[in-house]
Amino acid sequence: MGGITGLLMALAVAGGLLAVSLKNVLHAIFGLALTLLAVAGLFAVLGSPFVATMQVLIYVGGITVAMVFAVMLSTVVQKHATESPWRRAGAAVVALGFAVGVGMVIAAAGLPDGPAPELVADAWTVRQIGTSLLGDYNVVFEVLSVVLLLAIIGAIVISRHEGEEKQS
Amino acid sequence: MPETVTQMVDSPALAILIGIAGVMGALTFNALFLVWLERKASAWIQRRMGPTEVGPFGVLQTIADMLKLLSKQLITPKHIDKPLYHIAPVLVFVPVVAATSLFPFDEHIALSNLDIGLVLVFAFGGLGIVGIFMAGWGSNNKYALLGAMRSVAQNISYEIPLILSALSVVLMVNTMGGPETNGMNLAQVAQMQHDKGYWFVLVQPVAALIYFIAALAETNRAPFDIPEAESELIAGFHTEYSGMRFALFFFAEYANMFIVAMVATVLFFGGWSGPVLPGPAWFFIKTYGIVFAMMWIRWTFPRLRFDQLMSFCWMILIPLSILNLLVTAFIARAV
Repeated sequence: MGGITGLLMALAVAGGLLAVSLKNVLHAIFGLALTLLAVAGLFAVLGSPFVATMQVLIYVGGITVAMVFAVMLSTVVQKHATESPWRRAGAAVVALGFAVGVGMVIAAAGLPDGPAPELVADAWTVRQIGTSLLGDYNVVFEVLSVVLLLAIIGAIVISRHEGEEKQS
Repeated sequence: MPETVTQMVDSPALAILIGIAGVMGALTFNALFLVWLERKASAWIQRRMGPTEVGPFGVLQTIADMLKLLSKQLITPKHIDKPLYHIAPVLVFVPVVAATSLFPFDEHIALSNLDIGLVLVFAFGGLGIVGIFMAGWGSNNKYALLGAMRSVAQNISYEIPLILSALSVVLMVNTMGGPETNGMNLAQVAQMQHDKGYWFVLVQPVAALIYFIAALAETNRAPFDIPEAESELIAGFHTEYSGMRFALFFFAEYANMFIVAMVATVLFFGGWSGPVLPGPAWFFIKTYGIVFAMMWIRWTFPRLRFDQLMSFCWMILIPLSILNLLVTAFIARAV
């Protein structure tokens, strides 16, 4: 593990900790942005600059800003005032369960021991990613666009609903 | 294909230093020159003189301004969101420096030559938006926040036609070249126009027009300068910034103009390609020609209203750019 990889990993974890611990929702979102940026850096280090760029373009430039916008458009900036111990306990159980589940999957996957194989230069060019997205993984790609469509329809439904309430 | 600094210099650290020094020097000159040009151009258009006192035609005026800004006291307002307020100018400035290093300004030499150069430019543009938002929120000022919200809404919306119009060119380059061609590599796009002997603005006029309009909005230039509409919002998201912090925003704004003009030069106007003069000369003549057109528009047209701006993007520009992309795809398929 090189120094840069370690630094990026540490940054990703630090951003995640900021995202869950900060009281101010906006600060938490910017903590998340730090994590996403660090993950983009990890992609670059792992030899996939295109995915890294897309991570920055979509997640840092798009999703983070959309989240900030959602917070701004809601009337009250929440400060975790309604949090109860039960909810905290529930969240802890869910998080722990998820971590254990992921850990079991990784353990069961049987990853090879020893040093990682050499990075293949140009293993993930834009052309290859495009070919596999529209070829082998065509179904997954299309299902993803259905999810996005649902999100857009949901946004329209919510905004329409609010508009009617204001008029009445 | 251009040779990069990394290939010419042995040590990577030295290459990075050369790159940063080159970009910072170019951007500093760019900001000084463009501020002077903007003042002179606006003066010509409005039948005024503009700066005349410092140096011939006032060319040294902006250097004096810069020294003043450097030596000014930094005023930090009370009740700000401290971390965000302080990070914001840096976060606006850094992506601009990174994006500037990506351009092939000559046939033989470039700072970098990446297969995903075009996407990377847009990705860095997206990072700047986060910085603008931090500035607006961190300032704890209603005008700054309104300006930041407008800026973010505008930037997110106009990014769509901007990227779609650039994508038309990428599609065309990939179809015209062999399987080794990569339309997202800025050097290859310029090279192909040089080889074909014509500029892509001739075959993609609609994409070029959409790109230019969207670029005006992306750089918050009039008639889309709603985020800092001075008659409504004082100075928008950088209202509460002073001295060098304000200068960083100003610097980034002019650097952004420079960057979108460079993208337009490479995608639509043949990059460094041109007769007689050397490559970099053509590259910068074209780039500053586009920048001048942006200034010309700024001082000629009035500002749009915010709802007009948004509906223009969503109702006209985005459908038109999608249509243009589809037509390009069909023609590329047929040829």
